[in-house]
Amino acid sequence: MARFTRTNGRRGLAAVGALTIGALALSACAGGSSDGGDGDTLKLWHYEGEDSAMAKAWNEAIAVFEEETGATVEFEQKSFEQIQKTASQVLDSDAAPDLMEFNKGNATAGFLASTGLIADISDAVDEYGWADKLAPSLQTTAKYSEDGVMGGDTWYGIPNYGEFVGVYYNEDAFAEAGLEIPTTYDEFVDVLDAFVAQGITPLAEAGAEYPLGQLWYQLALAQADRQFVNDYQLYENPVDWQGPELTAATETLKEYVDKGYISSDVSSVKAEDAGVSFINGTAPIFVSGSWWYGRFVEEAGFDWSLQAFPDSKLSLGSSGNLWVVPENAANKELAYEFIDITMRPEIQAIIGNNGGVPVAAEPADITDEKSAELIATFNGVLDNDGLSFYPDWPAAGFYDVIVRELQGLVTGTQDVEATNANLGAEYEEGTADFR
Amino acid sequence: MSVITRAEPGARTKLPPEQPSIPQRKGGTAGYWLYLLPGFVLLLVIVIIPLIFNIYLTFTEWRGVRTPEFIGLENWFKIFTDEDFWTSFTNSVWMVLAMVVIPTTIGLIVAALLFDVVGRKFGGKVGSFLRATYYLPQILPIAVAGIVIGWMFRPGATGSVNQMLAVFGIPAYDWLGQMPSALLVLMGVLVWVQLGYPIVVFMAALQRVDPELYEAAELDGANWFQRFSAITMSIIRPEIFVVTLTCTIAALKVFGPVYIITQGGPAGATLVPAYYAYTEFFTKRNIGYGATIATVLTVLVVVVSIIFIRVQNSMERKERAGL
Repeated sequence: MARFTRTNGRRGLAAVGALTIGALALSACAGGSSDGGDGDTLKLWHYEGEDSAMAKAWNEAIAVFEEETGATVEFEQKSFEQIQKTASQVLDSDAAPDLMEFNKGNATAGFLASTGLIADISDAVDEYGWADKLAPSLQTTAKYSEDGVMGGDTWYGIPNYGEFVGVYYNEDAFAEAGLEIPTTYDEFVDVLDAFVAQGITPLAEAGAEYPLGQLWYQLALAQADRQFVNDYQLYENPVDWQGPELTAATETLKEYVDKGYISSDVSSVKAEDAGVSFINGTAPIFVSGSWWYGRFVEEAGFDWSLQAFPDSKLSLGSSGNLWVVPENAANKELAYEFIDITMRPEIQAIIGNNGGVPVAAEPADITDEKSAELIATFNGVLDNDGLSFYPDWPAAGFYDVIVRELQGLVTGTQDVEATNANLGAEYEEGTADFR
Repeated sequence: MSVITRAEPGARTKLPPEQPSIPQRKGGTAGYWLYLLPGFVLLLVIVIIPLIFNIYLTFTEWRGVRTPEFIGLENWFKIFTDEDFWTSFTNSVWMVLAMVVIPTTIGLIVAALLFDVVGRKFGGKVGSFLRATYYLPQILPIAVAGIVIGWMFRPGATGSVNQMLAVFGIPAYDWLGQMPSALLVLMGVLVWVQLGYPIVVFMAALQRVDPELYEAAELDGANWFQRFSAITMSIIRPEIFVVTLTCTIAALKVFGPVYIITQGGPAGATLVPAYYAYTEFFTKRNIGYGATIATVLTVLVVVVSIIFIRVQNSMERKERAGL
């Protein structure tokens, strides 16, 4: 098929573009841009909630930065959705910040990297020595190939924290039910059966958002090895969507609903509702991420613990979101200086002592016992080379596909084979450009 | 009644003497175009240029940045085999039912009852109060209404609808998480939101009706339905056309309630074209394909509008001709 050449495409666009620019000029709002570029102002965007461990650490980093450099930080609070959906347009303009938090993965940071919208920061990584502070599996999501596939050889971001998905257990509920916290998958299933026998739906779940998809991927990881992850996430080989890992995952998930481990009403439940049902003691088990940890510390009025999924060497997880430097940033040097401050042990300790998982903290600085327990569990996953990323990462929009297809599965409108076939078709389409 | 006259070829058309002529500047009407210019520029900027650009994008593969890649008719071929696309347009039929057919029908009956029965028996104030009550959902932001509806229909024992049903011993149900019920709840919400609009328009139209017409018909022995069909329907026909047309356009491009309440789920059961185009644009970054869906939707809306206007004009012509 004939392709529209780049030159012709530009000519074709030029007329429309000129008119559009004229139109935008007429309709542009009056606010002036603060481009900076003077070396005195760092324009910073992130989307962490004010009470989160990261925001607390970064607020301190801002204070240190302003004191040490004499520059001013012009901070703008954004929402995750806002940055996720509009970043490419903003970064392609002169309104780009100097430093921005952005979601990691092929469809997100990888996409920006492949389009040249975020800067190659490899030189800064060498200069400041950040690579020495990040474990190899944490570096995977910070480095991308020229096609935007993670695990490449060029640095496009720096994470300050890590995250993983494990199993939260309400220890009080277990004691009340006369049950032990499981250490193997068989014991895990026995516990689920025991709770169901007592009239309790054991797993807090949400089918309208990410938790159900994460459980599904975790069930696949329980059957998988590192090569499966590399095939699924890094496109090293084609993924067999009717193969043993994904078939087992989808079949087991269906079984969980059929046996009452998960509520049959799961398909319209949101993540927040699932988390709350664990907090209020309705459901004694919750398979979800370390991002809930701080909240459970604050709000759960019972003893609980977080452990890796039983009998699985691989866990969902990765580095946390990344600091990325837009290619159009006016003050890149200031951005690098700020990143460097966030990697200092004292700033990392703030993350660690507030329910986060720091990537470069001194163990002795973590004074909070519960936080030390979390970090130890995370380090256990790291030591096993267990971080296996998230199921929706391989293709843009795959998150919505997973939600939709698993809703079809749990509501009974499609069987295991059809679910995997549909997921596979969307996966193939979404990843075709990378393979 | 106006008389249409045809000018003889070559003869200069003169305004009828009773019709005042607009004072003309020397040099003709060219100067008046200046006043139309701002409106035309806005039309160009807000509608025409984006529309042309959107159509151009349907022939490209584009991820939203850098130069789009020309791929010919690929997106257009894809649409024919895309099940989600056809599901979304099938759901549009349900949206038309919920936003046009049901509210307009109920709105007609309610407006006639408020005007002919309630207004006459209880006075205009009662009618006006009830009209305002029906209109209330229209002024509620859909984001707020959607969140409240979402809470009401939450699954399990936490949703207020399930709590009310529990009083009658009916077990809890996952209204927004099951296939037929999610669409039915969404349709119910749309009927509730939409109902006030036709009622207000029809009641305003009914102000044109001389109440003596109803009284005379009543004296002649006409029952309520005969009065409704012979008087009400006949007089407010232009408003029925306007309401039907505007509501059909709104139903075809409905987005907000779907986005807030179901996000197209469960499993695509409530997917509509506008939401589908949105997900292709913003989550999958298939800008070219999203533009194709949006273009189909635009063409559909334009075609429906033209058909409505032509039918309306044809009926008016027949009415004027006494057919």
